Amino acid sequence: MHEQNRIRNFSIIAHIDHGKTTLSDRLLQLTGTVSDRERREQHLDAMDLEREKGITIKAKAVRMHYTASDGLNYECNLIDCPGHVDFTYEVSRALAACEGALLVVDAAQGIEAQTLANVYLALEHDLTIIPVVNKIDLPGAHPEQVAQEIEDVLGLPRDEVILASAKEGVGVPDILEAIVQRIPPPHGQRSQPPRALIFDSHYDAYKGVIAYVRVVDGVFPSGARVKFLGTGAQAETLELGAFRPTMMTLPELGAGEVGYIATGLKVVDECQVGDTVTVADNPATTPLPGYRPAKPMVFAGLYPVESNAYTELREALEKLKMNDAALSFQPESSAALGFGFRCGFLGLLHMEIVRERLEREYDLDLLITAPSVEYQVLCTDGEIMVVDNPSEMPEVSKIASIEEPVVQISIITPSRYIGVIMELVTSKRGIFDTMDYLDPQRVLLKYRMPLAEIVVDFYDQLKSRTQGYASLDYALAGYQEAELVKLDILVNGQPVDALSLIVHRDFAQSQGRELVEKLRSLIPRQMFEVPIQAAIGGRIIARETVRAMRKDVLSKCYGGDVTRKRKLLEKQREGKKRMKMVGNVEIPQEAFMAILSLGEKKT
Amino acid sequence: MQPVVKHLYVHIPFCARRCAYCDFNTYANLEDRIEPYIAALCAELTLLAQEQSQPSHDSPLAIVRNDYLPPTARVSRATLQPSIFFGGGTPSMLTLGQLERILHAASALVPLDTAEITLEANPGVLLGADMAALDYLRGLRELGINRLSLGVQSLHDPTLRVLGRTHTAAEAYRCFAAARRAGFTSINLDFMFGLPGQTVVQWEAALAEVLTWGADHFALYALILEERTPLAAQVMRGQVSVPDDDATAAMYEAAMYYLAAAGYAQYEISNWARIVEQQPISANGHGLCQPDDLDSSLPALACQHNLAYWLNSDYLAAGAGAHGHVYPQRYANLAAVDAYIAAVQAGRRPVAEWVPLTENDLYAETMFMGLRLNAGVSLAHFRDRCGVDLDVIYGDLLCELAQTGLIERRAWGVRLTERGRMLGNQVFARFV
Repeated sequence: MHEQNRIRNFSIIAHIDHGKTTLSDRLLQLTGTVSDRERREQHLDAMDLEREKGITIKAKAVRMHYTASDGLNYECNLIDCPGHVDFTYEVSRALAACEGALLVVDAAQGIEAQTLANVYLALEHDLTIIPVVNKIDLPGAHPEQVAQEIEDVLGLPRDEVILASAKEGVGVPDILEAIVQRIPPPHGQRSQPPRALIFDSHYDAYKGVIAYVRVVDGVFPSGARVKFLGTGAQAETLELGAFRPTMMTLPELGAGEVGYIATGLKVVDECQVGDTVTVADNPATTPLPGYRPAKPMVFAGLYPVESNAYTELREALEKLKMNDAALSFQPESSAALGFGFRCGFLGLLHMEIVRERLEREYDLDLLITAPSVEYQVLCTDGEIMVVDNPSEMPEVSKIASIEEPVVQISIITPSRYIGVIMELVTSKRGIFDTMDYLDPQRVLLKYRMPLAEIVVDFYDQLKSRTQGYASLDYALAGYQEAELVKLDILVNGQPVDALSLIVHRDFAQSQGRELVEKLRSLIPRQMFEVPIQAAIGGRIIARETVRAMRKDVLSKCYGGDVTRKRKLLEKQREGKKRMKMVGNVEIPQEAFMAILSLGEKKT
Repeated sequence: MQPVVKHLYVHIPFCARRCAYCDFNTYANLEDRIEPYIAALCAELTLLAQEQSQPSHDSPLAIVRNDYLPPTARVSRATLQPSIFFGGGTPSMLTLGQLERILHAASALVPLDTAEITLEANPGVLLGADMAALDYLRGLRELGINRLSLGVQSLHDPTLRVLGRTHTAAEAYRCFAAARRAGFTSINLDFMFGLPGQTVVQWEAALAEVLTWGADHFALYALILEERTPLAAQVMRGQVSVPDDDATAAMYEAAMYYLAAAGYAQYEISNWARIVEQQPISANGHGLCQPDDLDSSLPALACQHNLAYWLNSDYLAAGAGAHGHVYPQRYANLAAVDAYIAAVQAGRRPVAEWVPLTENDLYAETMFMGLRLNAGVSLAHFRDRCGVDLDVIYGDLLCELAQTGLIERRAWGVRLTERGRMLGNQVFARFV
C-alpha cells in the first residue's frame, strides 16, 4: 500500500475520437499494468456496444504502478469517464473522485463543446489539468495552433501543454511524469470515520453490486458492514480491492485510494452513483457533496412486438436496471400496442443503448415510441399533472397551461456555420443567448431551447448541417410555459395513441404534414387503401394515403425452386412478425420513431 | 398406392454466356466439360432407373395422351402425361447425338412414346449452331422431342442486350417459324415484363405483336431481381431502372387481358395455353366439371411437366444442381459440374442434400403450389396427394382467407380469386 503522497488519482477528458482510449491503453502498457501479450486493443471499453459506438458508457478505474524519474514508485489510478452529454452527472462524479485530469485535444480538430463543458466541470472540482495535444502525427495536425487555443480559451499556459501521439507512443512518458509531478496527492484523514464516493457501479452475478469507490477519509477494512448515506441501504463487504485491470482483492482500502467494494446487493438502485458509503459500526455522518439521485429526462414507451413477450421484457428491464440506476420503467398500456413499459432515460443515446441491449442480449423484438419529455400541466381545477406520455395529456378544455423543460445549450462551431445553426436553432424554438469567439475561426454559441426539441433529431441535424464540425453540450435550465398541443395520428380512421406527439401550436401544422408524409413512406402497402391523418383536438390538419398493394406474387415457381421460394415466403412471413397489427393495419417498428427522422430531407 | 414416378427433369448447366438476370445453376465457357457431363448424366439416369422399382409402364394406370385430354378436364395427378423436361442452362447447346444418348438412358424411367418431352431452347444459340437451325429442329422432332420452349424474353433489341441475351427479336421469330416448319405443334414462348426501361405501352405493343405469331403457350414472368446477379447490381447502383410495382402490376393485367382476347387460357399465375377445339362442356368421364368450373379447367396445351410440379407430384431430376421430389424426400444434386461428374464416375448418386419432408410440408406445398393454378386445389386432389381431407387440415385458415376475398371456396375445392392471383404471396405465405 502506498502513502497518500504517492497516490495520484486522475481522469481523462476528451471528445469522442480524440484518442482517450488509445492513450489509456498506452499508459497501461507503459506501466506494465497489462503485458504486451495480454494487451487487448482498447482495454477500458469492455462492452461491445461501447466499442461499436466508439464511446465510453460506463466509467472504469484502473490502478497502475509507476516508478517516476525521482526513483519512487507511485500508485496512479486512472478513472475513466463517459464522454457524452447524456452522462454529464456521471462525468462530474468521476471527476469528483480525482485530483487531476488529462485534457486530451485532437491536434487536427481543436477544442469541442463537450471538452469545454467537461473542463469547466473539472475546474469546478479544483482539478489540476494537464493539457495534451494528441495525434500530432496526423497529416492535418496543427499542434501549435491547438496549444495556443488551449491557452486562449481555457487559460492553461502554453508551456504546460504536452504534445503527444498516443498511437505512436510519442510524449506518453512525459504524460506519466506530469501526472506524478503536477497532480497533487490526495489529502484525506485516515483517522476519520471512513467515507468513500461511489463514482460507478456494476452488477456482478456472483458478487452482487460492485461499487467503484474513491476513499476520501478513513479506512475500509475487508469484511466490514457498509452503509450508504443517501439511500440508507446497508450491505456486507463481500470483497474489496482494486482493478489491475481485473479485480484484485486487498485487505483494506484507505484514504486516497481508488478501488471497488463488492456488496452483494441485488440492484444498483441501492448503491447509486454519487452516494457516500461508510462503515456501519463507525459511520461518518456528513455525506460527500454533490449526490443527486439519477433522474431520467427522456421518456418513451417500450412494447414487445409479440404481446406474449411482455414478461420477458419485464425481466430483461429488471436485469438491465440492476446495472443502470438511471433507467426507470413502469408498466403502461396502449390501445394500439397493448401492454408495455414507460421507460425513462438520461437522453437519446442512453435510450438507444438500452434498446440495443434489450434486442441483442435478450433477443427481444421491440417497438419503441417517439421520445417525450416530462411536461407539467396545470389543470383548470388547480391540479398539477406530470405528463411524460402524450396520450395521457388531458383534454384541451381541462388544461390551464403547460410547462415544458428547457435546457441551456452550448455549441462550438467554426464561425462559417453560424448562419445555418441560427436557422436550425430558431426552427427548434431556440432563443439566442450569447456568442463568444474562441479564436478568429471558432465560436461558442449559447441558446435556451426546449428539451423536447433536442431529444428529437437536433443533434443529428446539427452534425449534418455543419459537416460534423459543430459540437453540442446541454444542461437542464428549468421549466417554462409554452403553447403546446397534442397532435394525434389516425391510421385507417383509428387514432393510434402510440403515435401521438406534443408539439408547439405554431409548428403543429407543418409537423403534422411532415409526419403523415413520413408515415406514408414507412407503412408498407396493405391489401387495402390506408388513410393516414394528423389531427389536433379532432380537427384533421393533414392527410396522406398508403395506396393498396396491387401485386405481390412470385411469378416463377417450378420444381427446382420450391425450397427457395418457400424460404422467400417464410421470410415474408417473418417480416410481418416484425410489424405490429394496429386494428387491421400492419405498422412497422420504424413508424413509431418516424418523428425522429422528420426534417431529414431538408438537409 | 403411390403412382409410379413418371416425370423427369434433366438439367443442362451450360450456356454460351450468362444472362444478366439469371441466378440458375449454369456455367459459360465450360464447353469442354459437355462430353464428360453427358456421360455422367446418362450414368446417373441409369442409377436412378435401377433404384426405381421397375413396374411396367403399360400398367393399368390410364395415361391420357395430350391430344385426347378434354379441354375442360379437372386437373389431377393421375391424368398427367409422363414427361421429360430438358431445362438449363441452354439444352439447345447439345448436339442431336448427345440428346439421343440422354433420351436413351431416360427411356428406362419414362416411356418416350407417350411422354411430353420439352426442350428449352435459346434462339441465339439455335441460330449460332453449326447445323442449320431447321435441320437441328427437325432432328429434335425425330428424337421424339415434342414440345419446344423458346426463351424469347423481349421483342425490344436494346432490352435484350441489357439482359445479356444473344439474339434479336427478328431472330427469335425466325427460330419460332423454323420450329413450326420442323413440325413442332406445341411451342412455348418465354417472355419477361417489368424489364429495365420498359413501359406499359411498350409491353402492350410487344404482346400485340407476338400474339400474331400463333404460339401454343406463353410463360410470362415479372422480372425478379435475384441477389448477386449483374442486373441486380446495376439496378442497385442506379445504372439501370426497372418499372415500379404499380407499372409491373399494370403489365400483368395487360397480359391477362390481351392473351384472353387472343384465345389463350390462363391456367397458372404465369402460364397461358392456346384454347383448342372448343367442345361443349359435357360429361366427359371425369365427372367433376360443373358449368361454373369453366375457368378453373385445364387447357389441353398446358405443360404437363410443370403441372406435375404444381400438383406437388413426385418427379425425378438428373444433372448438376437438379432437384427431385419423391415424397417424403426432396433431393438436390451437386451443383458444380466437376463435382457432379466425379460423384457419378465413382458410381454414386450425385446428391448433395437429402431433405426429409414432413406431412406438414406436404400439405403446405400441395397448397401453395396448387393454388398457383387457376383450377385451384380440389378436395379430390388434396385427398389424393395428402391422404387427408383439405378441411381437416386447413378448414379454419381457408375460411379466414375467403373472408379477405383472396380465395374462393367451391363445392369441389378452393382457388384464388382474380385479386388473389395478383396478391398470391399473401395467401401462399399463410401455408408455410
